[in-house]
Amino acid sequence: MEASLDLSRWRETPRGVGYRRWTIASTGLRQLFQLRFFRILLALAWASGVALALIGFLFGQTVATGGWLETAAASIGPRAQAMAQVVGGLVTLYPDVCIGGWFTLVFWAHSHLGLWLSLFALTVMVPRLITRDRATNALTVYLSRPLTSVDYLLGKLGMIVGVLVALWTGPLLLGWFLSVVFAPDTDFIIYSFEPLLRALTFHGIALVALSAIALGVSAIGRTARNTIPIWIGLWLILGFVAETPKAPEWLQRASFTRNLTETRQGLLRLDAALITASESLPLIDAQFAENLSRAGAKARASDFDGALMSLGVFVLISSFVFTRRLRPE
Amino acid sequence: MQPATTTLPSARRLSRPTREFIIETEGLGKTYGAQQALSDVSLNVPPGTIGLLGPNGAGKSTFIKCLLNLETPTTGVARVLGCDIRAAHRASRERVGYSPEQDCHISGMAGCEYVTYCGQLSGMPMRVARQRTHEILDLVGMGQERYRSVDTYSTGMRQRVKLAQALVHDPEVIFLDEPTNGLDPSGREHILSLIGSLWSDLGISVVMSSHLLRDVERVCDRVIIIGHGRVIEHDSIAALKTRYRRIVELSPSSQPERFVAALATAGAAVTTLSNGRLRVESKSESIEWILQLMRAGRLPPAEIIANPDGLHELFIQSIATSHGSQS
Repeated sequence: MEASLDLSRWRETPRGVGYRRWTIASTGLRQLFQLRFFRILLALAWASGVALALIGFLFGQTVATGGWLETAAASIGPRAQAMAQVVGGLVTLYPDVCIGGWFTLVFWAHSHLGLWLSLFALTVMVPRLITRDRATNALTVYLSRPLTSVDYLLGKLGMIVGVLVALWTGPLLLGWFLSVVFAPDTDFIIYSFEPLLRALTFHGIALVALSAIALGVSAIGRTARNTIPIWIGLWLILGFVAETPKAPEWLQRASFTRNLTETRQGLLRLDAALITASESLPLIDAQFAENLSRAGAKARASDFDGALMSLGVFVLISSFVFTRRLRPE
Repeated sequence: MQPATTTLPSARRLSRPTREFIIETEGLGKTYGAQQALSDVSLNVPPGTIGLLGPNGAGKSTFIKCLLNLETPTTGVARVLGCDIRAAHRASRERVGYSPEQDCHISGMAGCEYVTYCGQLSGMPMRVARQRTHEILDLVGMGQERYRSVDTYSTGMRQRVKLAQALVHDPEVIFLDEPTNGLDPSGREHILSLIGSLWSDLGISVVMSSHLLRDVERVCDRVIIIGHGRVIEHDSIAALKTRYRRIVELSPSSQPERFVAALATAGAAVTTLSNGRLRVESKSESIEWILQLMRAGRLPPAEIIANPDGLHELFIQSIATSHGSQS
């Protein structure tokens, strides 16, 4: 049998290196989001974003002059109406403390969920980053093309960025945006901006640290049987041990989750928001003020600089591991 | 269903930039610790179909890997398609395809998805890559299997998909490391005929490393013989054959002992092979002297095969010569 095949020729100039890196990242993401597990995580993450928006909307409507709280209080009686007006008055007089504090609290709570979702996602992702490529000699396929190992790493980094943005930063920004769009005045935009920037800074640091650690762990082994236990060991077991009260300082710093918790406390400054509220807001009951102050002290970062330094060391060690392993075998 | 023979439409042959050489190396060397894998390789390889020969561990794969920047050369310079592999390492691989010897694929992808992805990694837009993928997969003889995950492929299918990913971006030169490993006879025939037509019909130069000398002899017009990390020979097969002793095999219809006696009297070195054939070292390129000998001695008819394993002989002799000169 003889077959004549019509073969087209490709004469165009190849697209640039940015396109090729994007191809690695987008193809990896597409494969990931075909998994049911990732779809569930996505649904949870974006539901949290919508919840953030709803909470923000309710807060705005509650404290607004003529809002639902004031209307409802008026129907109860003049005393209740006066108390509702006081709440609105406090927000008007102390927008930095009330609005800023409120958003700090909301972003702080959301960062817990976002971080956990990201860590779950990375558990499934770790073997799909470098491990499988090492097992199937795919590095030869990548590096025999017009790509360098840096391009390959940037592509894989793009996958992690994509996942963390989809599960954490995206829902946060959506929640904040919808909160301020439907807010009663511009104070909500102005005074929520600083907590937002702090939250995004924390996202940035977590992104760099988690990406480097995930890539490093992924490069260690050639099968998921090796890399997933290492990841879980670093995340859950070391994290659990480091949280025990008698854990020595070096052990605490050896847990990246504990370091991230410290970084969150140090950056979001929930402690400062609570203590400022307890000290500056008038008409607050002394017991309530003391409780706020105590909660603030509890939320204070005890080792912020040490945690940042430890995360830096994690990034350096991980970078050393994955750059050493990125040779075709 | 797979085509036994593939005819590429020569009318569609691409007018490539005319290059004198596709590979140029000067003093290329590679050491692994104390071991010298490649030593002072200086070559200018013109376009065409080139066979890369050498015993195991001779440095063939290291040579290819150095040209692709998969290994960093310790000494020397190399240019592929005119691009310095160190100074312009991405550009030097833009129009190059590579099908490695070992199994390699990207897990979790269907065959066509994988080849498209490889095309995109070489800078092809998605739509073009997808179109070329299906054409190339037809070309290498893959049918509906292309929609199955690469992880489930047999060795032969993986070999085909490796060739497809090397060709998808329409390269100017492809490096094939043992391309027929694991293929059944009809698959091997198909792939060899495809490789043979890449240069003649599409203008794609092929550098093929293989242990199967008959495959190289059938497909290639030039050979590079590497031994102990050095280039021992680099010339066209035709030219090389004239430089080494010629071997003729005789298969007499009867009375082989008379043939042996007559040839020995004429001063030719004769060996009787296990299959009854006589292996004769010919004095000249022509076999006329044997015919004359048969006429003069009234010998029975015989089948005469000139250069039965020409490349094999050439390979053995050049390796032996290299050993001799080294010692």
